[in-house]
Amino acid sequence: FRYTRNLVDNGNGKFNLMILCWGEGHGSSIHDHTDSHCFMKILQGNLKETLFEWPEKKGNGEMIKKSERVLRENQCAYINDSIGLHRVENISHTETAVSLHLYSPPFDSCNTFDQRTGHKHKVTMTFYSQFGERTLC
Amino acid sequence: LPAGLSQWFPALEVLDVSGTGLAEMGAELLSLPCLHTLLAKNNRLGGPGSLPKGLGQAPLARSLRVLNLSGNRFADVPPALLQLRGLRSLSLGGNRLHSIPPDIQELRSLEFLYLGGNFITSIPPELAKLASLKYLVLCDNKIQSIPPQLAQLHSLRSLSLHNNLLTYLPREILNLVHLEELSLRGNPLVVRFVRDLTYNPPSLQELAGRTVKTRNVPYAPSDLPESLVRYLSLASNCPNPKCGGVYFDSCVRQIKFVDFCGKYRLPLMHYLCSPECSSPFSSASQSSTSQSESDSEDEASVAAHRMQKVLLG
Repeated sequence: FRYTRNLVDNGNGKFNLMILCWGEGHGSSIHDHTDSHCFMKILQGNLKETLFEWPEKKGNGEMIKKSERVLRENQCAYINDSIGLHRVENISHTETAVSLHLYSPPFDSCNTFDQRTGHKHKVTMTFYSQFGERTLC
Repeated sequence: LPAGLSQWFPALEVLDVSGTGLAEMGAELLSLPCLHTLLAKNNRLGGPGSLPKGLGQAPLARSLRVLNLSGNRFADVPPALLQLRGLRSLSLGGNRLHSIPPDIQELRSLEFLYLGGNFITSIPPELAKLASLKYLVLCDNKIQSIPPQLAQLHSLRSLSLHNNLLTYLPREILNLVHLEELSLRGNPLVVRFVRDLTYNPPSLQELAGRTVKTRNVPYAPSDLPESLVRYLSLASNCPNPKCGGVYFDSCVRQIKFVDFCGKYRLPLMHYLCSPECSSPFSSASQSSTSQSESDSEDEASVAAHRMQKVLLG
């Protein structure tokens, strides 16, 4: 019922390579990248990436949008914490989307942010499948 | 659709005519007895003739399970569609719908309903009759409020409401015990305590009605004009269990905040029968004391335990 994260390769502990499958209307929360490099390539469909500024220390207001763009098939994007935070979404109501993500070093938790207040919340990320096998919680 | 389709492919189970510029689908569909999946997205459907006449009587009405009409030009849901009794999955995303017909309740077997990306302004309470509905997508519309009856969707696991015009939710949303995902971002949800200060004192009719109901004054249809009998049947119960009162038209609307998952504060609308009435979750009377806030937090943390992913941010 939401986008799935499917681990493909863990590079001997040096990176995580995964495929994300987005249904129509599926989107992520605003999140950071826990001090890692993040590369993303669109394999199918389109994904909208909205960049946000880090909220102030005692954030208590709407988060500030820096920019947004729609990434098309085969386009690549990169982000890390010094660039900012982002939300990624499949805004199509008719097409699914598939993206390839490379995170180095790998991380399994990050912070999500409430766009209205800037409050952050640490979350653990899980995989829907790993190396082709369904991961059960 | 080519004539003779059912003669060439009588065993057809899945038909995908997406992105073909189709403006009509005619009688060729009616004699495909095995068809369970019809994908016709990104076409020019929406006018008369989009669906064949006599659809309700065709074998298709019972065999079709999945229908995808997203990315077309439907300005309303064609009545013929509502005759597809066996339908489990329906997508009308990215069309031009302004409303959902109450007869949507006819699609008794529906489990998946995608209506994102339209111009829908309100949700009919009849939608709540879809007892098997697991996945409801209403994102990217113009919805201003959610009917409290939606809490009757006991099978609902995922509800997508992002990018609408919601300022609050009905408190009954806490009753959706199987709900695992709820997306609410991009709504102008109120962030501060709001009490409807324009409380109009009840009319004499309302006061009389309340007395009849709360004192259980017996009456028979022959005792009263029909209009008053109907009026009395519309009494709503005050949600405060300590009150036990009823109200008709005159009520206090109060927004209380409920913490979800300990992190997100959702504004939930409560209706009370009078300003003197205690709010539902507090033993003290009136406004949001810290006592009443923490009581509602207890209720919410029970509900939040069930609701694992609230996608607000």
